[in-house]
Formats: sequence, structure tokens, C-alpha cells
Amino acid sequence: MSIAELEAVEIAFEGAGGLWRDAWSRLRRNPGALVGVALVAIFVFVAVLAPLISPYDPRAQNLLLVARGCCPGPSSHHLLGVDQLGRDELSRLFYGARFSLVIGVVAVGVGLSVGLLFGAVAGYLGGFVDGLIMRVMDVMLAIPGLLLAIGIVAALGQGLWQIMVAVGTTNIPIFARLLRGSILAQRENDFVLAARSVGVPRRAILASHILPNAISPVIVQGTLALATAIIDVAGLGFLGLGPQDPGTPEWGTMLTEVDRYLQSAPLLAIFPGVAIVISVLGFNLIGDGLREALDPKLRGRG
Amino acid sequence: MLRFVVRRLLLLVPILLGLSILVFGWIRLLPGSPAQALLGERATPQTIAQIRHQYKLDRPIYEQYWGYLHTVGQLDFGVSISSRRTVTYEFAHRFPATIELALAAMIFAIAFGIPLGFLAAKRHGSLFDHISLVGSLIGISIPIFFLGLILKWIFAVKLGWLPSIGREDVLSEAKHPTNFYVLDAIVTGNGGALWDSIKHLLLPAVALGSIPLAVVARITRAAVLDVQNEDYVRTARAKGLPPLIVDSRHVLRNALLPVSTIIGLQTGLLLSGAVLTETVFAWPGIGTWLKDAIFNRDYPVLQGGILFVAIVFVLVNLVVDISYAIINPRIRVS
Repeated sequence: MSIAELEAVEIAFEGAGGLWRDAWSRLRRNPGALVGVALVAIFVFVAVLAPLISPYDPRAQNLLLVARGCCPGPSSHHLLGVDQLGRDELSRLFYGARFSLVIGVVAVGVGLSVGLLFGAVAGYLGGFVDGLIMRVMDVMLAIPGLLLAIGIVAALGQGLWQIMVAVGTTNIPIFARLLRGSILAQRENDFVLAARSVGVPRRAILASHILPNAISPVIVQGTLALATAIIDVAGLGFLGLGPQDPGTPEWGTMLTEVDRYLQSAPLLAIFPGVAIVISVLGFNLIGDGLREALDPKLRGRG
Repeated sequence: MLRFVVRRLLLLVPILLGLSILVFGWIRLLPGSPAQALLGERATPQTIAQIRHQYKLDRPIYEQYWGYLHTVGQLDFGVSISSRRTVTYEFAHRFPATIELALAAMIFAIAFGIPLGFLAAKRHGSLFDHISLVGSLIGISIPIFFLGLILKWIFAVKLGWLPSIGREDVLSEAKHPTNFYVLDAIVTGNGGALWDSIKHLLLPAVALGSIPLAVVARITRAAVLDVQNEDYVRTARAKGLPPLIVDSRHVLRNALLPVSTIIGLQTGLLLSGAVLTETVFAWPGIGTWLKDAIFNRDYPVLQGGILFVAIVFVLVNLVVDISYAIINPRIRVS
């Protein structure tokens, strides 16, 4: 039995409504999860309002500022200083949040929906289809995540949607396996047998009886996958496989460019890095909190 | 046991076949024709026609795939466009650098992760426990390339204690019979080279080991907490065994079972992470090799390299599975 299947078995012991209400009340009492929600709220807030709160255009260069060497640090005009092309660092960070959030959400969305489709079909139909789908997933998992993403970007070329597809694809097998394990555990339940015996069609059983009960590990994994996706997108950017336009304020790309200025302007490396850590930490904290809240084994301990 | 090993080996066959199809199909998805991709900038109509014939690209697709399997089966992955050396040679030359780095990272993670997790569990709920939990969460949230840059800034640029790039001093004349520099230095009895290569290894290993460290610490903590409440531990304590013996023989030994699987599962992360870490520290391993191949459009290297890495990853997982079955007999039966 895989870990996902084991988790699914544990979660299956709970009734649906009770589980969710209970999970929510426990999540609210978990200080870590609350910090996570706060961090993610800041991240989303900055991403959405970037055009309104940024003091400068993130692409506007001002070479006069760097005429006497890179790079002037924080000042009253530029709160976090400027980068090697005289662009305002704070504005670039704000816009960077946009890219990370959009790419991360779309990538996980792609991986989640395709993965869930495969997982649901494999888990519910079983047999040959199941075997075929899961072997394909095994092959995809045989290539370490970032390398698979690199290969896909190399094949599709650089650009925003290419990155989303690449990072999303690495998530497909993870979600497919997870949901399949979860469904296998649910399929044997009495309420499924009951629904089938009164003549509910297969698709309706899957959609309204099995999926709602099998979904909680997927939610946990989805939150954690957002954290990984943000790191992977930044990693691609750091390797130089980021958005095609090098002026794009993407956090990972910003880190590559400052490697040469570590001596004179270390802050330029620290700011984008800290921004990544804050957003990733936020999603990790929420994911951890959700896992604890949804895990009946931990009930009564907290 | 033998049956278990044979079954796991048989399961490898479809995965390896699938991988070969994936990589074979991938090079045909690349922009431009594969012949163009293989030739790069120097492509002329004549050379393209020649390459198409040489690589049998004018044959039907199933024949092409069969031919590809045949050459790969003979460990022939073609010739690198940028270096003109065979991909197999380059891989063999660069892989030791990555293994050395990954092993050092893993040793770092285990040496600090297990004691940290154990102490956190023993003092469950204490300040130390909370700090280590928060620390490990931050640890998995820091991108390794960022951590690498910070380490480089502090220890190489600011303090000047450690070198920032490469595997050895540029002026080093040490000999490298195996390409594992630390091992080489020991074999050739070169103390200076040993110190030099260890100094170069430290920062990249810490950066690459940071996530496994956090994961190992978390799993150890959870496992120790679990095992501590088992009946056999209570029995051991009740019969008056010294706490040190109970902890080492009963608690830690059983708690390390899940930890050992997790350590195996980290291999993929290490291989992925190596691309980023090697880029930060200009480490001449598989990671920088593949990264350079992308920018040089060196498709034979990419194709062969990704297949190599995937095969290594699959084999490591196989070894982990088998060794886990040896440690934990319950697995074999199910």
C-alpha cells in the first residue's frame, strides 16, 4: 500500500460533514496555519494590487542611478534600492509576486485537473485502463521533477505558458496517484455499494459519492504543490529558462542577474529570495495545518 | 526474498521502455527537425540529408525507434555537439562530481537531521521542539539556489573562509584517477588536495543538503514520537533497562525504518537540486552539464543525459525498495 492509500484509509473512517466542520475549527486554533494564511494573504494582496502600490514601472531603467557603480542601496526615493539597470527593486518585487502567483496557480491547476482526471478514471475503472495510466505516471515520476520541467521548457521554448505547462506536467502523476489511491479506498465503502444497488449510474457515483470523500488528501497536496510550484518556477527562472523577455520582473530571474553583484549589492540577492521564502512558507504552513486538521489520527492531541 | 527482487526487476522493464519512448518522442517534438536539432547552427541541406540518412530519419517511425533502442542498448548515446566527445564519456567523467556532492549533502542531512529530530521528539512540546519544527519548515521553504547564494555571500565573499566555485583550486595539480576528488586525494595520499577538495565541497553540500536535512529531522521526530509509546518500549523501561539502551536499541532502531525510506526518496530531489546547486557553485557535474546543453542546444547531451539520470533514479529506488525489504520483513509478504 502506498502512503496515499494509507492516508486515504485513515481519512475514510470519518463522515464527510463532521470531518470538514471539525477540520475547520481545528485549523483556526492552529497558530502555524494562521501565520500561513497571513503570509499568503500578504502575497496575494501584493500580487493583485501591484500596479497600484508600486512606486515605479518595474521595467523602467534609469542608468544614471548606476553610473557610479552597482548598485545604490535603499534611499527615500527607492525604498529597497535599484538593480544593476537602475530599476526600482521594490516595484520589481511587487510585480514578481504577480508572476509567481499566476504561474503557480495555473501550473498547479493544470497538474491538478489533468492528474485528477487520470486518477479518477484509473481508480474507478480499474483493470487495463488503470494499469496503462499508472505505468505512464510511473514513467513520468522516474524523471526528477525539475529535470522533467527543464526538458519540457527546452522542447516548447521559453515563455510564460511554457513554464506553466512544464511545472504543471510535473504535478500530474502526483495528483493522479493520490486520487487513485484515495478512490480505491473509497470504492469498497458501503455507501458506494448502496448507491450502486439502487441503480445510480457509475458516473454519478463517482461524482457525488466517491470524489467528495476522496478529495481531502488532494486539497492538502494541492496547497503544498503551490509551494513547490513557486520554488520550481523560480528555479527555472534562476537557470535562465524563465520568461522570454529578460526585463520581466520574475523572482528567480532576478536572483540569477545579481550573482555578479554579491560583493557590492548583496541586498539585491536577499530581497527576491526572502520574497520567495515568505510565499512558499505561507503555503507550506497552510498545507501542514490542513493535513493535521484533516487527519483523524491526530484528533484530540491538539 | 528472491521472488521479491525478481518481481521488482521485472517491473523495471516497462518503466525503462516507457522512458526510452518518452525521450525518443521528446527529441521529435523539438522545434525544427531532429536532424536540424542534432546539427545545430551548422546545418546545410547536404548535412541534413546526410544526418537524416545516418540516423535513419527517413525510415518509418517504428524502425527509427527500434534503431534507437538498439544503439542505446549498446550505451551509444551519440556525440556532444559542443565538445565533440561521446555523451557516454562525458557522463562518466562528470557523474562522479555529482555523486560526490549528493553523498556529501546526504551525509550532512543525516548527521544533523537524525539527532535533531530525536532530540526534538525526546523534548516533545519544549521550546527546542518548537524551534526545530519552525526551522525545518523554513528549511523546506528556502529555494536551494537562494540558500546557495547566501552561503556564498557570507562564507566566500564576506568572510573569505571557503572558495565560492569549482571543485579544486585552479592551480591545483592533484591527480584524479577516479574523479571522486576526495577519494582521489586519499588514494594518492595528498593531504593538501584532500583539504582543498573538502573546502570546495562544504558550501554546495550544505546548500543541497538543506531540504533533506529538514525532511529527515521531521520524519525522525514523528517516528520517534510514534515508537516511544509502543508496548515493547514500555516493557523495556519497566524492566529497568538504562534509558540510553532503551533509546538506542528499542526506540531509535525502530524509528529509523521510515527514515531510511525517506532518505531513498530524497535521491530524486538531490538529482533535481544538483542542477541548481551546481549552477550556483559552478560545480562541474551532471547539473551544469545539462544546463549548458540547453543553452548550447546540445540535444544529444540532453537526450542521453536525461535518460541516464532517470535510469540512475529508478535504480536507486529499486535498491532502496530491496534494502527496505531486507530491513523490514513485513514488506516482502504483502
